[in-house]
Amino acid sequence: MAAPRSNREFIEACVKSGDAVRIKQEVDWENEAGAIVRRACELAAPAPFMEKIKDYPGFSYFGAPLSTYRRMAISMGMDPASSLPEIGREYVKRTNGEVVPPVLVDRKDAPCKENILKGADVDLCKLPVPLVHDGDGGRYVGTWHAVVTKHPVRGDVNWGMYRQMMWDSRTMSGAVFPFSDLGKALNDYYLPRGETCPFATAIGLSPLAAMAACAPSPIPEPELVGMLAGEPARLVKCETNDLEVPADAEIILEGEIFPDYKVEEGPFGEYTGYRTSPRDFRVTFRVNCITYRNNATMTISNMGVPQDEGQLLRSFSLGLELEKLLKSQGIPVTGVYMHPRSTHHMMIVGVKPTYSGVAQQIGQLAFGSKLGPWFHMVMVVDDQTDIYNWDEVYHAFCTRCHPENGIHIYRNAPGTPLYPFATPHERKYSIGSKVVFDCLWPTDWDRINDVPTLVSFKNVYPKDVQEKVTSNWTAYGYPPVK
Amino acid sequence: MNQWEVYVNDVKELAEDAEIELTIRTLNAGIHKYTYKRVRAQLSSDLKKHADQLQVRLGRGQLSNSRFSIKVLGEVQRMPAKYL
Ligand SMILES: Cc1cc2nc3c(=O)[nH]c(=O)nc-3n(C[C@H](O)[C@H](O)[C@H](O)COP(=O)(O)O)c2cc1C
Repeated sequence: MAAPRSNREFIEACVKSGDAVRIKQEVDWENEAGAIVRRACELAAPAPFMEKIKDYPGFSYFGAPLSTYRRMAISMGMDPASSLPEIGREYVKRTNGEVVPPVLVDRKDAPCKENILKGADVDLCKLPVPLVHDGDGGRYVGTWHAVVTKHPVRGDVNWGMYRQMMWDSRTMSGAVFPFSDLGKALNDYYLPRGETCPFATAIGLSPLAAMAACAPSPIPEPELVGMLAGEPARLVKCETNDLEVPADAEIILEGEIFPDYKVEEGPFGEYTGYRTSPRDFRVTFRVNCITYRNNATMTISNMGVPQDEGQLLRSFSLGLELEKLLKSQGIPVTGVYMHPRSTHHMMIVGVKPTYSGVAQQIGQLAFGSKLGPWFHMVMVVDDQTDIYNWDEVYHAFCTRCHPENGIHIYRNAPGTPLYPFATPHERKYSIGSKVVFDCLWPTDWDRINDVPTLVSFKNVYPKDVQEKVTSNWTAYGYPPVK
Repeated sequence: MNQWEVYVNDVKELAEDAEIELTIRTLNAGIHKYTYKRVRAQLSSDLKKHADQLQVRLGRGQLSNSRFSIKVLGEVQRMPAKYL
């Protein structure tokens, strides 16, 4: 099965496999669409494809695009029943492979150019921008999208998923964190010079393009999409600046970021499951041109309590990128996993505990890396603990982590303004605190006399007894174990 | 009559019977609902005093019980002239 090349191919594949439902009755852009997406996330239900939107004939919505591992497998062109470790291995294989550069296509071959609004015709309200959650500070244009920019000096292209609220018909305000690639370019270059930064927002991307836009990978996103998809991403030139955008995207907004003029943004329902970050003056995007496909589909991610694509996908890619980083440093890791229900706040790292201090070394590398601001807990367990099995991890944590010697706290590290536990001051300045939970037996303990023996079916009985009991299980009168 | 909404951290920010600057969004039905404007305005807790109505939301989107009537005196342009 090939990876879907566009949002449309993805919807079709999901409908076919039972992972999306077509909603034919009219849906209101104000709250109703958002509520459907939220409920679908909380029930891990199929993704809603809403074909009729109040006030917006000809447009549709696709919500919760990647909020289940099944849909993630479909987006990679894999069997929807693939397990998480299988999807993870495939992601690592593809992203460690040959770089696949994008190709530039002619405007006539780019569906995103089917309709073009410029000058006085530009009005964001002509698009079905949803009010995602009741009480949100505005209607959010960008919830599942890519903001495309190019570094003014190095020339490298960045696609980032930074939320964008409609402020008025031509203005959006967005949360671009200072440690993100775009945040750094704005603060290092554009703000001191008072220059505007050209941008394009692409909405309704192929699922792998969206995955690339929110992946914390060092590989430039247009190449990353090609590597994930196994074929080059198709890009096309913008109408009003020289950025290149995915040709098959449903909607493109072109414009400039005004680094020295800010308007209010938020509050907004966030991936932590709360509205945490306050309304504030954030980055201002001025829209100069809108292009869109006929019968365009707007994608909606509705962030809140688990589980939505913010948690699922970011946990997935943050974990795998950390695994790559730790392996590149020669750390004897056996796996890294972030449970989506941690709202990507806890890294669980499995390691062969062959030397002392390895848990702290892992914590320092993790928190000190580009990935670090996004989580504040690292839990290190040994290679006998199944990192994907929360019961085992929790047992290791509660029994092996010494309250004094096993908990290491780091203060004044980078954090996000979205941390629900952070003080208002810490949120305002993106300051974080971090903690390592070392759940390894200390290497200076005597293996025979000091380290407790795990008392489990698998660990204390001889193999032949285990086999006898397992094979006789139903004969004893128990139902079969799945 | 127009319906407007404002976000504040504290309702005390909304002084009555004085000219104040506010960022308000329209709640009038239609495709432009929820778009913002920066305005000079006068407020009153007497809901009959001005024709337009203003409802209030707090820092995390909670709807406040406080309601005002509002007279929008004019739009304020905050955008630097170089971007106009
Ligand atoms: C649904 C969703 C919404 C996101 N919103 C934001 C946001 O508003 N601001 C932000 O800085 N990062 C946000 N992120 C995380 C970035 O997309 C992510 O860090 C991405 O890798 C961009 O990173 P970079 O600029 O560091 O390369 C979001 C991620 C997802 C999945």
